[in-house]
Amino acid sequence: MKQNSLSGERRTKVILQIVLAVICVIYILPVLTVVINSFKQNTYVKSETFALPNEESWNGLENFIKGMTFGNYPFWKSVLYSVVITVASTALILVFTSMAAWYIARVNSFFCKVIYFLCVFSMVVPFQMVMFTLSKTADKLHLNTPWSIPVVYLGFGAGLAIFMFVGFVKSIPISIEESAAMDGCGPVRTFFRIVLPMLKPTLISVGILEIMWVWNDYLLPYLVLDINEYRTIPIHIQYLKGSYGTVDLGATMALILLSIIPVIVFYLSCQKHIIKGVAAGAVKG
Amino acid sequence: MAEVILKNIKKVYPYVSGEKKKRKKGGEPEKKTNLQITDEGVVAVQKFSLDIADKEFIVLVGPSGCGKSTTLRMVAGLEEISDGELYIDGKLVNDVAPKDRDIAMVFQNYALYPHMTVYDNMAFSLKLKHMPKAEIDRKVREAAEILDITQYLDRKPKALSGGQRQRVAIGRAIVRAPKVMLMDEPLSNLDAKLRNQMRAEIIKLREHINTTFIYVTHDQTEAMTLGDRIVIMRDGYIQQIGTPQEVFNHPANLFVAGFIGMPVMNLFDAKLIREGQHYFVELDGHRVHLSEEKCARLAAKNVESQDVTLGVRPEHIDLAEDGVSARIDVSEMMGSSVHLHLSAGDRDMIVIVPTVDMQGLPHMGDTVCFSFKGNVAHVFSKEDDKNLEF
Amino acid sequence: MHRNPIKTFWKNPTRRWALLFLGPVTAAFFIGFVWPFIQGIWLSLCKFRLISDAQFIGLDNFTKALEDPTFRHAFWYTALFAVVSLVLINILAFAVAYVLTQGIKGSNIYRTVFFMPNLIGGIVLGYIWSMIFDGILSHYGTSILMETKFGFWGLIILMLWQQIGYMMIIYIAGLQAVPEDMLEAARIDGANRWQTLFRVTIPNVMPSITICTFLSLTNGFKLFDQNMALTAGQPFIIQPDGSAVKTTEMLALNIYNTFYGSSNTSPGVAQAKAVLFFILVAGLGLLQLSYTRKREVQQ
Repeated sequence: MKQNSLSGERRTKVILQIVLAVICVIYILPVLTVVINSFKQNTYVKSETFALPNEESWNGLENFIKGMTFGNYPFWKSVLYSVVITVASTALILVFTSMAAWYIARVNSFFCKVIYFLCVFSMVVPFQMVMFTLSKTADKLHLNTPWSIPVVYLGFGAGLAIFMFVGFVKSIPISIEESAAMDGCGPVRTFFRIVLPMLKPTLISVGILEIMWVWNDYLLPYLVLDINEYRTIPIHIQYLKGSYGTVDLGATMALILLSIIPVIVFYLSCQKHIIKGVAAGAVKG
Repeated sequence: MAEVILKNIKKVYPYVSGEKKKRKKGGEPEKKTNLQITDEGVVAVQKFSLDIADKEFIVLVGPSGCGKSTTLRMVAGLEEISDGELYIDGKLVNDVAPKDRDIAMVFQNYALYPHMTVYDNMAFSLKLKHMPKAEIDRKVREAAEILDITQYLDRKPKALSGGQRQRVAIGRAIVRAPKVMLMDEPLSNLDAKLRNQMRAEIIKLREHINTTFIYVTHDQTEAMTLGDRIVIMRDGYIQQIGTPQEVFNHPANLFVAGFIGMPVMNLFDAKLIREGQHYFVELDGHRVHLSEEKCARLAAKNVESQDVTLGVRPEHIDLAEDGVSARIDVSEMMGSSVHLHLSAGDRDMIVIVPTVDMQGLPHMGDTVCFSFKGNVAHVFSKEDDKNLEF
Repeated sequence: MHRNPIKTFWKNPTRRWALLFLGPVTAAFFIGFVWPFIQGIWLSLCKFRLISDAQFIGLDNFTKALEDPTFRHAFWYTALFAVVSLVLINILAFAVAYVLTQGIKGSNIYRTVFFMPNLIGGIVLGYIWSMIFDGILSHYGTSILMETKFGFWGLIILMLWQQIGYMMIIYIAGLQAVPEDMLEAARIDGANRWQTLFRVTIPNVMPSITICTFLSLTNGFKLFDQNMALTAGQPFIIQPDGSAVKTTEMLALNIYNTFYGSSNTSPGVAQAKAVLFFILVAGLGLLQLSYTRKREVQQ
């Protein structure tokens, strides 16, 4: 009897293993398809999507070269702008929202409550609500370059970050900060030498959420940036694929491959933090 | 080294906006304490006056919500003083920031900086004062030596046990050689065994550091063992200030009588009878002559015969051939003594009987007689619960 | 009597630094959110070509927006999409999470793989899948852009691929928080595997289920990048009056097209649609909040 139920359990486990493995393969297939098609000539992408490149369809690195120079807009510029915008926005958000959140959590004046309420409120406002007016405002204030757009990201993305930071600060016993005060720290020193190091786990979580958001964001930079001058990677890909007339699918796939390689490398290198950060953001958001 | 003088200190927590309304609307809010509520807000501490001598060890003790921690935090500068004056070393410090008061504080939850090593935790305040590195090192190691934490200096607080963390917290305070050392329930997060051990260490610590201590606790044992003087508080008011001996032997009122001493003092409804310069208490027809000392005090205050609450500590009650009779409800063998829970009339009481004097253990349901001596009977007014001797 | 000017220690000295701590975020927040939001509300009540010559016209824009067949179609299409994706994503994500918490070998690898699509941006996702679907459909001489149902189910499959991993993470966290001894107690009480799952496990992961349900619902409603990249609203149906309804166009894309598309609709109408869209999404958000609050009180 006992033997039976145990072997039954083992059998279910084996079946589950197989099912999971199959799903796993299905999950990876789309990415593999991108890889194989990025080496094929355009016409073969459509007709033989799932076939490995053969002598006939092989296009070598042509697709990559074409993709990177498409529309007289070099791809490396998009990469550069994407990196600049992502890094600058994330850094800006982390520093300023953590400062604001600490102040809000500890001082808790009327003004703080208003700001906090607005932050929570902004989390439920979809981008379409403000996209038109935001892009006009950003234009007027010259926030339409990769070097100034982080201000827009700080403004529109402050909500979630402040919400998460305030939640964490409130869980820190205030006596640690009081200790610092008695040891001789003023508020600024208390924040940067005591509070900020303690915020590290939340800094990582928020940082990852912001990186993922900004790196993949399409509409905001598309509407805000001066598009002839500055294109991020998603915008570049949209231009390549979305332009009417003949679309070179091979070249598109080559660019897509180039754009997801850093994402996957980033993911595999700090997977634990990413999953934790995303879960934290979801539960709170 | 400094004396601390608190003059008529008061603390009012103003209403947070909207709270006042809730109070009226939401019916009776849970009433945890009997703090006075005024138009300004909740009064947490009032009429607190105390002169603390240099190097004195003062313990503030009382149940939760009595205002003891608030008082300590006002001395620390972490709370505003609503009214009154606070002097440290002769200087009025009401408006002085905590860091400039030259005080150190040990918190209940240790409040160590989690991202710093033990060494850095202890050195932090000295670094902020731009003390030379060599001197910092010397002071930190000296303090670590005293507290026996030298081997943990490179660790982070997370890697330490509760007792070790508390040592670090104390170490962090003593490296600064503060004028006043404040301790806010430093032992209450420790388990019973460690607490006893640390209590002994704090007593020893006083030999190493010459400073004034203000120590807050809700535990009367800590108060009795540590304090040069004890301040017993309740609902924001001081109930009594005195040495451990004084508050034990001469509790100022029923609250102090009940708070100090374990198990708690037995209370009876009794009669105080005056015959000239002599006083008696009468309990169930059993009459006890009060001691000369007590009689003199009562006479000096011209106390008349009246109904009183009589208090006698369990250890001061003797089982006797003759006296008030009572029934044994429960008998607890504690080793060196037996705690007998008796019911006399409609009053429950406890008697501690040393086992040395006993022939055979008393049984549940047995009837015994008890008596007490005139020098251990405390008489409290029925009207205001005050000790009639005061 | 002497009155102390210090409020409490923490408030006073820190307040002096308000400008440093709050200033940057407040300024950016006004530029990036508060002002555009207020202006957006205002403009939804205005007739304008340029913001500078906006004229107040009351609720006209809203009437026009609600009468717009493309907007109505987009609403129903989005609602249907959101509900179908919600059901499928949550059932599958929960199933995967449940299996992965049963002590299966290599569950970390599976988790890593299943979560991976989440990091890929919506535009890229859309193009990857449009290639795949067209690769399949071209064998049957058709394309994802040819039929509404292809677009619908294509987007569902895409969203499943992207979102299952994400919801799975939340479910795994919830499942791991169910105390082991509670499950053992159920087993000792004689519950079989399914009874344990439905009577003990699921009631105990209700918080996660609520979160995931609302998340997938709002995600479904707010979907834009994937929708634009996969079908961009195609195929179109030409109305008798010559206008076109984009059959796979969702709300966010509809608003975008009303603003920036070639049609001659005033941006005021688009802004009115955006306000309606905001009310819808915020309503869902508040519903979630009150739901979560209530549950927290009960616990």
